[in-house]
Amino acid sequence: MSKKKGVGLAAFDRRHLSPQQYADHGRIIHRQHIDELETQLAIFQSLLAHFSNTHSAAIRSDPSFRAAFARMCAAIGVDPLASSSNRKGNFWAEMLGGSVNDFYFGLAVRVVEVCRATRAENGGLISVREVRERVEKGAGSLGGEVSEYVTAVHVVVCLIFEWKPYPGICSDDILRAVKSLKPLGSGFAVITIGKKQMIRSVPKELNTDQSTVLEAIHILGYVTVSMLQANLGWERARSHTVIDDLLADSLVWVDMQAEETEYWSPMFIHDGGG
Amino acid sequence: MTTPSSRPSPAEQPFTFPREYHFPPFFTRQRNAITYTAQCQKWSKLILDYCRAKRIWRLSLVDAIDGELFWNKSLNRRLSLADAREIIDVMKTKEGRAEWVSKDKNVALVYWRNPEEWATVIGDWIEETAQRNTVLTLYELTEGYLTASQEFHGMDTEILQKSLNVLVKRGKAQVFGSEDQQGVKFF
Repeated sequence: MSKKKGVGLAAFDRRHLSPQQYADHGRIIHRQHIDELETQLAIFQSLLAHFSNTHSAAIRSDPSFRAAFARMCAAIGVDPLASSSNRKGNFWAEMLGGSVNDFYFGLAVRVVEVCRATRAENGGLISVREVRERVEKGAGSLGGEVSEYVTAVHVVVCLIFEWKPYPGICSDDILRAVKSLKPLGSGFAVITIGKKQMIRSVPKELNTDQSTVLEAIHILGYVTVSMLQANLGWERARSHTVIDDLLADSLVWVDMQAEETEYWSPMFIHDGGG
Repeated sequence: MTTPSSRPSPAEQPFTFPREYHFPPFFTRQRNAITYTAQCQKWSKLILDYCRAKRIWRLSLVDAIDGELFWNKSLNRRLSLADAREIIDVMKTKEGRAEWVSKDKNVALVYWRNPEEWATVIGDWIEETAQRNTVLTLYELTEGYLTASQEFHGMDTEILQKSLNVLVKRGKAQVFGSEDQQGVKFF
């Protein structure tokens, strides 16, 4: 007969006691964990600070290094651009001496430029990939309609951040840059159409029908009214309305030399088309 | 007479068409005004780049409309004559990059460099080659071997006249002689 398996009244006492003991013990372990984690975090922070101090130049200039850094940040669940935490400003800005932020803000201005310059062509909807290619090329002449405001901002930013081309940036960098524009409430957003990530630079919401048609265009290359009728079961009038709206917003281009009028996304200009 | 090897005969250079050339709607006049602006800009750039590459100084629309510039045969898409005229009109009025030779709008001078720019190019060349105060015939200037490596070699006479007039206005040249025996003196 084991001692623990008490019989009689004492057993009730012990049963009453052990949950209490377990709980206490649990708290102790929990506490130890927290302590350990805090120590680890402190070490991690100091290491990271050391790391970024030694490597801030590399973060700025070396695309693969930067991508690795961004991946690391993502893996450990921190956002190098997060400025929303009002506790003590931007943790990263302090740690990295602002170099990462500067990089992305500078890049963001370039993204804005590209979006504005191509707005007439694509109605303010442009694929992340195309933005990346254009920023990478660093097209000297802006072309298109660039508002004076943007030009002024551009000049200021040029002065603040030494102006550099951005070779070898990745789509991640672009997305981060767009994200950094958010506090400005500038109407720049990343939306997904089909499987493609697009940057929308006009503060206009697409309705469901419009998104559906754009998605179809991105998959098929183009649509016609009868394709919409056949595949989506839409009536002629509905198809026409949606397409007219898209045309009015300059989001699609019309090709009237096919058997039936075709509607194309200007995105295909840059994907090689034909 | 040798031509420098750095400059292969331009007519044989294959022209790489931009990506929009392979985009079917590019050949249909866009009805949306904003889109049309973008379309015109792209056409203007394409026409100028093409003419520069092929050394085309005057573009005969009636002929060119059946050529590769305006007709992408692999896409089976072509720009109509009327649309091409409209684009040249835009190039003329908005950008000063083209000019009609006659009122019927069939032939246009295409300014991948405009007369002002040509005047500067020619002026710089005179300066660099220390030919101030020399007299050149217009033929020597555009067809002579001395200028074979220059961008303005083979220049259309009408554009040359306009460019020299700019130089005259700038006080850098004087044109004299009659019709087909003209000469120019640079200062």
